Amino acid sequence: MAQTRLESARMPGAEDPAGRRGEKGGGMAGKRLKAVTGVLARQGILVAFALFLIGFALGSDRFLSADNIFSVIRASAIIGVMALGVTVVVIGGNLDLSVGSMLSFSTVLVVDLHDKIGPGPAILVTVLATLCLGAVNGVLVGVARLNSLIVTLGMLSAIQGLTLIYSGGKNVDIANPDGTWFSLFGRGYIADIPTPIVIFGLAAIVLHVAMAYTPFGRRIYATGGNPTAAVFSGIRRSRVVFSTYLISAFTVAIAAVILGSRVMGSQNNVGQGYELQVLAGVILGGTSLLGGSGTIWKTVIGVLILGFIQNGLLLLGFQYYVQWLVTWVVIILAVWLDIAAKRGRLLSPIA
Amino acid sequence: MDNRLKALIAGSTAMAAVALAGGASADQMKIGITQNNVGVDSYQTTYEKAFIAAAKANPNVDVVVLDAGGDVARQIAQIQDLIQQKVQAIIIWPTNGKAVVPAVKKAHDAGIPVVITNSNIAKQGMPFISAFSGPNNIEQGKEAADMMCKALNDKGQIVQISGKPGYTTAIEREKGFEDQLSAKCPGVKILDTQPGDWNREKSQRVMEDFLVKYPKIDGVYAADDNMGVGALNAAKAAGRAKDIKFVGATNFAVGYEAMKKGEYYGSVYQSPVDDAENALKTAIEVIEGKKVPKMNYFKTPEITQANMDKFKKPVF
Repeated sequence: MAQTRLESARMPGAEDPAGRRGEKGGGMAGKRLKAVTGVLARQGILVAFALFLIGFALGSDRFLSADNIFSVIRASAIIGVMALGVTVVVIGGNLDLSVGSMLSFSTVLVVDLHDKIGPGPAILVTVLATLCLGAVNGVLVGVARLNSLIVTLGMLSAIQGLTLIYSGGKNVDIANPDGTWFSLFGRGYIADIPTPIVIFGLAAIVLHVAMAYTPFGRRIYATGGNPTAAVFSGIRRSRVVFSTYLISAFTVAIAAVILGSRVMGSQNNVGQGYELQVLAGVILGGTSLLGGSGTIWKTVIGVLILGFIQNGLLLLGFQYYVQWLVTWVVIILAVWLDIAAKRGRLLSPIA
Repeated sequence: MDNRLKALIAGSTAMAAVALAGGASADQMKIGITQNNVGVDSYQTTYEKAFIAAAKANPNVDVVVLDAGGDVARQIAQIQDLIQQKVQAIIIWPTNGKAVVPAVKKAHDAGIPVVITNSNIAKQGMPFISAFSGPNNIEQGKEAADMMCKALNDKGQIVQISGKPGYTTAIEREKGFEDQLSAKCPGVKILDTQPGDWNREKSQRVMEDFLVKYPKIDGVYAADDNMGVGALNAAKAAGRAKDIKFVGATNFAVGYEAMKKGEYYGSVYQSPVDDAENALKTAIEVIEGKKVPKMNYFKTPEITQANMDKFKKPVF
């Protein structure tokens, strides 16, 4: 009885669970102005995104064509879906660096099994196997309470090894890419929208609702924000952390199905380095690496920024090494704009 | 605990000594190999299997097969181990062309001939090696350019998807291709070059961007078939595959299949089996004191839809 269940305290419809609210306005006009700057401050990353889009659109007339926009979002969907899951883990106060090699594993598995047991069972087995890997992360970090950085970094190479043992180092391919309904996930369309975009959108909506409006989401924010306080509030920390890793593994499985279907084959190291792109998208979306704050839909924006930068720079005809540099500059600018908007000035008032 | 450990060390040392003595007493060639990263791709996996098979087939040869797992430090340690074991020749598949040079020099100073396999070491290491055995990547780039010229009748505009930036193989293929293209058919222009990182998905993404950027593309050169098929995927999705000729390198099974379907123009056939057998043969000839060309290339012929029935489907 002494323990208050946290969800009873939540504000229904709270837009920002991290709790960045509370502008105190003066008069009517002042209030409106404050409201506008307040919105700008909260959505700094969105402003940055809009600015990039305008910049690239001025430089290349093909940038804003429907074809290009669809193509970029479709290509970003793989990183994007994984980033959604990792956002949940990070909000819960942990990291997941194993998603890249987990993606390699799951893609090799689903592609290899496709020709052996058919697409349906292949997807089912892949999802279950990937959830098992996520469960290993979850047990080690959630129950055994080991450092998530070490655990998932170890899992990164362990899963890579597992993939190589499974495949014997060989590439796997789907023998007849044109004659399988498996092609729906990476190459197909649902209501004229490419399926990867539909899946990405649905996953984002489901996870956003779960994180922002359900007791389950609240518990993850509470655990990431202050684990000790969360435990004293009656939250079963280990169970919450465990579930975040299951969510991230599940999103990896979805990404693997999209990737396998898009490429119709897989290399053993296909996801190598993707964990960093995923993390970049999450951080760009403003999710704090310390846990307890962040939003799903901003991760979507973060991932799209990365995708559109790479695409835009290529369309503008930059050499790849210039692209790497400019990507870095753009990320710094975006993060800076986000932070500057939040504190209302460019440089920190505290020296 | 302590005693057990001591016993273990003593035991293993004794065993190693016996093994060494056994090896030394027999009238046999002992050859050591340290590979780059077996298991990371089918090429290297097949290479190792073929190497071991070729060594088994020759009763006069004993091989010590090691793998650096892509780790430079481990490879240097393995080279030092092989020097200690007094093998008669060391074959190295460098993890890094520059970093292994001091270790190669050490082997050379110890009087052990070194054969480099598959991808060459940096220039400053060349005086310390007996031979390089492997594919000629500049030549492969040229072959691809020849095929591209033929496919486009010496006229058109193409895009290039190169390998991972910084890799010798990527640089050499790109150079060979570009030089030969401008020499043989200046009517074919390269619109753009972007790296595909040897990754099919990355290449697919790059090609999607190219297709948006250029309304007319006549040909694609990809530095390996994996990336070539990625580009083909993207062009098919955009409904433009029929207007584009695809030329790759290092013929993969997927490239072979696509060629069979008539979707893929041609590639360069590079067999890991030939690669491995050539390396072992080079090392044996070096030990026997035969004259071996310093750059001992094995053949990597052109493969196109026209002549593909002469080649077996690649195992990778």
